[in-house]
Amino acid sequence: MPAQPDISVRQGHLPGFSFLSLPLLLILGGCATSPLAKHTAEFATATNAVVDSSEGAYRAAVRLHDDEQISAAVQKYDANQPWDPHNIKHLIDARGLDARTDILDGLKTYAQRLADVTNGGESESLNAAAAAAGTNLKEMSTAFNSGSTVPPSGFSITRSQANAVSTALKVLGDFLVSQKTRTAVPKIINEMDPQITVLSKLLDSDIVVLRRQSNDDYEQLLMQQDAFIRKSGHDLSPIERRAEIKKLGQLILRKETTDDMLRQLQSTIKSFAETHHALAVAAQSKDMASLSERIADLEAAAERLNHFYNSLPTT
Amino acid sequence: MDATTAVLQNPTTIDAYQALYDALGRAYWDASTIDAKDLIQGARESIYEIITELDEAQLDANTTALLAIQPKIEDTNAALKKIKASINEITKNINTAATVISTISKIVAITAPLM
Repeated sequence: MPAQPDISVRQGHLPGFSFLSLPLLLILGGCATSPLAKHTAEFATATNAVVDSSEGAYRAAVRLHDDEQISAAVQKYDANQPWDPHNIKHLIDARGLDARTDILDGLKTYAQRLADVTNGGESESLNAAAAAAGTNLKEMSTAFNSGSTVPPSGFSITRSQANAVSTALKVLGDFLVSQKTRTAVPKIINEMDPQITVLSKLLDSDIVVLRRQSNDDYEQLLMQQDAFIRKSGHDLSPIERRAEIKKLGQLILRKETTDDMLRQLQSTIKSFAETHHALAVAAQSKDMASLSERIADLEAAAERLNHFYNSLPTT
Repeated sequence: MDATTAVLQNPTTIDAYQALYDALGRAYWDASTIDAKDLIQGARESIYEIITELDEAQLDANTTALLAIQPKIEDTNAALKKIKASINEITKNINTAATVISTISKIVAITAPLM
């Protein structure tokens, strides 16, 4: 006779997992996301805003400065000093732009990986694996009790018990993931915090320069446009002249809009650094104030389990 | 960075040039003749060029500082990738358990009629 699996399960009782603990976990409702995961999600959002806006700001500032040089060259084209269009000098050279793009993309990756790692307990694949284990256990029970097994195997579990096994595996998976993140992630975030502070100061310094340079580039464009109208405007038709004069007002509006955007970017960069610092504090905190966060962590875990348990099959 | 560049990149120096540039801008728009405007524009352009050079120098200095931070970010991303791989391994192990149970079920289903 083939060897019987060494699993003996009575109805309503599973080894290593008290069924009573499930209602207790289900009672612990509340916020669904742990504080650390919430902070990493906020940080990822702030990072995306900083990265996308910064890359856009660099490109716009370089383009504006190029436009200023072309406009100045047009004005001086017939002057004694001949203009060579190859002499256009970008505000930020290719090396500088590449360095900024690489570091900003690296930041995006950092924020995304941090969010992925700290949200490991909510992993869809972990949920699927745990659910599959319970379902397969139930199928195994069905196979052992198909009616043709003689004598009866003695191995039999209900759907509820199979679901409880799935939930237990989910708890185990969450615990192992949590152990991994609690030991390694706070150290990483803490070591990264001074780098983020330096980086945000450098980005802020960049934006200070871009604001000044954009302001001056627009001022130069305004003067060049004004000089053109005053010196050559009489050769234009009334409609053409009107259109050229209108451009002065449009330049002023663009100048103001650009400065508003750059000022907002400065504010976002400040928020980015503050969010990371809050993240570092939250991840490192071991004092009494962190107790509520630990409880919230537990509540979040319970809420996740509640959702998970309710998503399991009932038949 | 030489002493002259350091002095020129001093925020106070740049602010002083910027204040002069702004004052000349107001003078340009207040001037009533083309000659006066040309004169002011010429002076203002010189100041603009100085400010632009200082701005470019500041951006270059920032590039160097940013490049110094880059390896740290790359190292950190590599460490996070490693943790993510460990977390994936946990899921993989639970998946293996589910597969083993499923395989046992299949074997039992096949062998049951023989028992």
